[in-house]
Amino acid sequence: MDPTTFKDYLFLIPLLPFAGAAINGILGRRLGLRAVHLIALGSVLGSFVLSVAGFLALVSIKSPEARRVVSVLYQWILIAGQTGSFHINVAFLLDPLSSVMCLVVTGVGFFIHVYSVGYMHGDPGRARYFAYLNLFTFSMLVLVLADNLLLMFVGWEGVGLCSYLLIGFWFSELDNARAGMKAFIANRVGDFGFFVGLMLLFWTLYVSSGQAVGSLSYGELKGAAPLLLDAEPILGLSVPTIICLALFMGATGKSAQIPLYVWLPDAMAGPTPVSALIHAATMVTAGVFMIVRLNFLYLLSPVALSVVATVGALTALYAASIAITQNDIKKVLAYSTISQLGYMFLGVGVSAFAAGIFHLVTHAFFKALLFLGAGSLIHAAHTNDIRKMGGLRAHMPATFFTFMVAFLAIAGIPPFAGFFSKDEILFSTFNAHLAAPGLGKLLWLVGLMGAGLTAFYMTRLVIVTFFGEFRGGESAEEKLHESPRTMTGPLVILAVLSAVGGFIGLPAVTHLPNLIGGFLEPVVALKGGAASHGSHSAALELGLMAVSVAAAAAGIYLGWYLYHKRPELPGALRERFKNLHAVVYNKYYVDEAYDRLFVRPVIAISRGTGRFDLGVIDWVVNALARATERISAGIGWEDLKVVDGLVNAIADAVKYWGYHTRRLTTGKVNHYLYSVVLGLFVLYLLVLIT
Amino acid sequence: MDLVQIARSNLEGFRYAGTEVALCVLIVALLLSGVILPFRKNRRLFLIISMLGLALAMTASLKQPGAGKGVRYFADLFLWDSFSVFFKLFFVAAAAFTILMAQMNREVEDYEFNECCLLVVSVTLGMVLLASSVDLLMIYLAFETMSLLSYLLVGIRFREARGGEAALKYVLYGAFTSGVMLFGFSLVYGLAGTTDIMEIGRILNSAHMAGQNRALFVLMVLFFLAGLLFKTASFPFHIWCPDVYEGAPTPVTAFLSVGPKAAGFAVFIRLFYTLFAREVGDQGFAAIEQVDWPAIVAVISAITMSLGNLSAIHQDNVKRLLAYSSIAHAGYLLMGIACLDKLGLEAVAFYLVVYLFMNLGAFAVVTAVNNGEGGEDIRFYRGLSARAPMACVAMAVFLFSLIGIPPFAGFVGKVFLFSAVILKKYYWLAIVAAINTVISLYYYVRLIKAMFIDQAEVSFEPRVSGVSYAVIGALALPTLVLGVYWQPLAAFIESIF
Repeated sequence: MDPTTFKDYLFLIPLLPFAGAAINGILGRRLGLRAVHLIALGSVLGSFVLSVAGFLALVSIKSPEARRVVSVLYQWILIAGQTGSFHINVAFLLDPLSSVMCLVVTGVGFFIHVYSVGYMHGDPGRARYFAYLNLFTFSMLVLVLADNLLLMFVGWEGVGLCSYLLIGFWFSELDNARAGMKAFIANRVGDFGFFVGLMLLFWTLYVSSGQAVGSLSYGELKGAAPLLLDAEPILGLSVPTIICLALFMGATGKSAQIPLYVWLPDAMAGPTPVSALIHAATMVTAGVFMIVRLNFLYLLSPVALSVVATVGALTALYAASIAITQNDIKKVLAYSTISQLGYMFLGVGVSAFAAGIFHLVTHAFFKALLFLGAGSLIHAAHTNDIRKMGGLRAHMPATFFTFMVAFLAIAGIPPFAGFFSKDEILFSTFNAHLAAPGLGKLLWLVGLMGAGLTAFYMTRLVIVTFFGEFRGGESAEEKLHESPRTMTGPLVILAVLSAVGGFIGLPAVTHLPNLIGGFLEPVVALKGGAASHGSHSAALELGLMAVSVAAAAAGIYLGWYLYHKRPELPGALRERFKNLHAVVYNKYYVDEAYDRLFVRPVIAISRGTGRFDLGVIDWVVNALARATERISAGIGWEDLKVVDGLVNAIADAVKYWGYHTRRLTTGKVNHYLYSVVLGLFVLYLLVLIT
Repeated sequence: MDLVQIARSNLEGFRYAGTEVALCVLIVALLLSGVILPFRKNRRLFLIISMLGLALAMTASLKQPGAGKGVRYFADLFLWDSFSVFFKLFFVAAAAFTILMAQMNREVEDYEFNECCLLVVSVTLGMVLLASSVDLLMIYLAFETMSLLSYLLVGIRFREARGGEAALKYVLYGAFTSGVMLFGFSLVYGLAGTTDIMEIGRILNSAHMAGQNRALFVLMVLFFLAGLLFKTASFPFHIWCPDVYEGAPTPVTAFLSVGPKAAGFAVFIRLFYTLFAREVGDQGFAAIEQVDWPAIVAVISAITMSLGNLSAIHQDNVKRLLAYSSIAHAGYLLMGIACLDKLGLEAVAFYLVVYLFMNLGAFAVVTAVNNGEGGEDIRFYRGLSARAPMACVAMAVFLFSLIGIPPFAGFVGKVFLFSAVILKKYYWLAIVAAINTVISLYYYVRLIKAMFIDQAEVSFEPRVSGVSYAVIGALALPTLVLGVYWQPLAAFIESIF
């Protein structure tokens, strides 16, 4: 399609799911099931088709620099200032970055919608479910398509809301509702930081620098961003650093990074397709997207970028270590997601923005596939506990084969998708020049260890669930069955994508074009990352590649050895390192620590203030009242007749007037006249006063 | 001017009086169809006739005058300008929603429905005339047309003690205040020697009048205020309001709280901004030197909103609660009038539109709840969300909007009002209004809590018909949309002043 004509249709990409949500949300219970499905799936499919059209329209523009379509819907906020005006539009921006994100959100989203039809079969709240899911798609699309930070924040909050609604979808169980609250609060903490960053950005660029920007649109921000460097440092930190770190705080909340990751494992209480869509493929990647979108801002602050990279690498290793010990299949995948998100942040932290987005895309494929496969297993075995599964390979061949593809992809075995993206991140990390010398190499090592652990825990998961004997009891074994077509269909498609998705970003050593890197080039300023490919020897690149494949292979071998060859060993090891296992199994007691550090003190403080209110303030008030009483009683004996009389007269007059204006039955019409005259008198008093 | 010329100019006037003519035709149609016995109780028929007529009136009002100052018609008694067009549209919309609400309402009996429509349309005619008249006599006539017919409307259930009492109270209070206002008119006429308000404005604001006749001016402003503050239900002439609102059938209450109140504000702006102020520069006005009426209005505004909000706190009757809330809103609106510049007036007009939707919406839900075995007391609202979730959600939207919480329209309206006040450096007034907003939070949220959190006390099945849902939805939609997409309306309103 012609880019200029497409501009007029851009708004339809988010609007279609919104319309779907509105129809299903309002009329869902009246409509038939078929209609609900048709509306929910049709709207997302429509968005997907439009996203593809948008992508083609972008590609049809010859010059990569000109691949930018902005469609202004209307002016949202207009503040007329003293010297210039500040305005924010509701405007959408289609550029390579948002186009890629749209394709992922609507594409993967559509398959998950299809899968949900089978998964939610028989659930009474289906209309509500699909309404939420569509609303989520809408919010996510607003987030990625927004042309300014404030509109993006609307989407940012919108996806948080939908996530909350969907985690607590089965809200009648207390734990689910509680998990929803936890996610909400952890995100609030992060969003606070995000908002501080937003306001600081607005303040420095609009208010204190004499209105360098008239809006918060990315184009204008990008132009004005260097001005931030001139701003007075706050507490010894440069202003861009503070802004970037505050925004990153929002990202740690939304994308579940240290220290705010705690909500994501609990969020698995929601339906499994929700975990796949929101808590693996799309919403949790919003933080990565945000940093890539604002890369021009982050590039101003090497310190902030180093912090991002360090937090990412640590999270990647840390979460992977927890994943080893978990027995709930969804929890394992949740920690795996946190870990993989860590890799994305590591990528963007070392300025390899395209690599970060590349990993985001491949991760969306294989992690959605893993979750949907897990959903299929749970659907059949009716439990989340992998200890009660086993030997499912024979019963569920389609699920098994697709799951295996995802396993190879996440473990980093070439040529599956995860290998290319993860390897590019690790390679960029190795060559990165960060704020501290040698930090890049160190983070590379951390990332490499994480990759080994990833391969290990995924091997464990696969062996325990699919191999060996079924351990769920005989009655459950009889009910084992492959899932319906609507569920296996999406699995197969995602498996194909997980297998070949990596070819869109081939490493430089192959001398084949890196499609996604080239496509994203106009959005992400080239520095480090992709550019470093050219400047380093092919030998180094191949060497690092070999090391990471070796790490993955070692992880797989160890997993196979421990859980398949010598299944008695893990138990023995667990006994041997009892304390260590307990610490890791209990997720390093972080939840407990947060409980002690934040939750209980807050409750204690609120109890304390409550008691203070009851005990002290009430007492003071009561004492004052009693004292007043005493004093007035004491001086009562010499009460001034005049004052008393006057007070009584006024009181009587008011009472009399009030009584008679209220009770018409007295029939005294002239009282009305009096009240009007009185009103005029009051007005006259006002004239005298003013 | 010979007779032919007069006739020709009057015929010419009909080009601008489309709304008035359409309403007159509608009144005649309702009168005629009402006397045909078989139709006496046919609600649907009268509804259709009214809707058709009002749609006609609406389309007739759509034509916009150009950038110029407008056209005088009917012997120069009326003015066709964007200001009057805006208010005509407003009144016709209010009438349409009221009749829709009355149709689904059980308080109005079948045999009264025709009268109800007739009276609502007639009051609307009065308001429409009021919005466009620029002659003291015509203003008074239109004002009285509107007032007298709204007394009847309140007393439409005259067989019920409460209804009759309310109507009589309204009549007496209205008669006195409008008498006082008429006295004020006569003083103005005596001073200026003409009834054309544009001409009077020029004379009163002229250089040789400056600083003269202070006492006379004080009296004129006072007497004008008496009538206008009565109509807008503001301090100190608000006392009738809760009783009348409670006694009248709910749709009528809704209509009174929006239509005549807005008409009061329209004529307030028209009179005070032409007679007692003159345009200065592009955006501002300057008040006459003799009386500092903007300051008086500011004080009245502060007292009115505080009084309304504080009285609403203890109300358990939802209609009475909304009555006090409407007094408080009159206070907010007066803030804009006190600003003495175009920003303030635009804020008033914008807020009126928002208020139309959210206030009628709240009353529409009250009507729906009244229809079952429910009542107006707050205990009927306890736990209602379990039985009528959509209605309760809509009610929550209206109430949140009335508080002024984003992303609802009321928030945007309040932002405009507050920013006008703050730009005018009336900081104390802005602070009072902000405190009042917080106070109002208490009683609105109390109702929301009753609906969503409290346990049901009375179990009755609220019968919310499809039409009710349609009306409530039609009112909720703009309340939501104007909260995020207000630019077109704001631009339109900017063009009327």
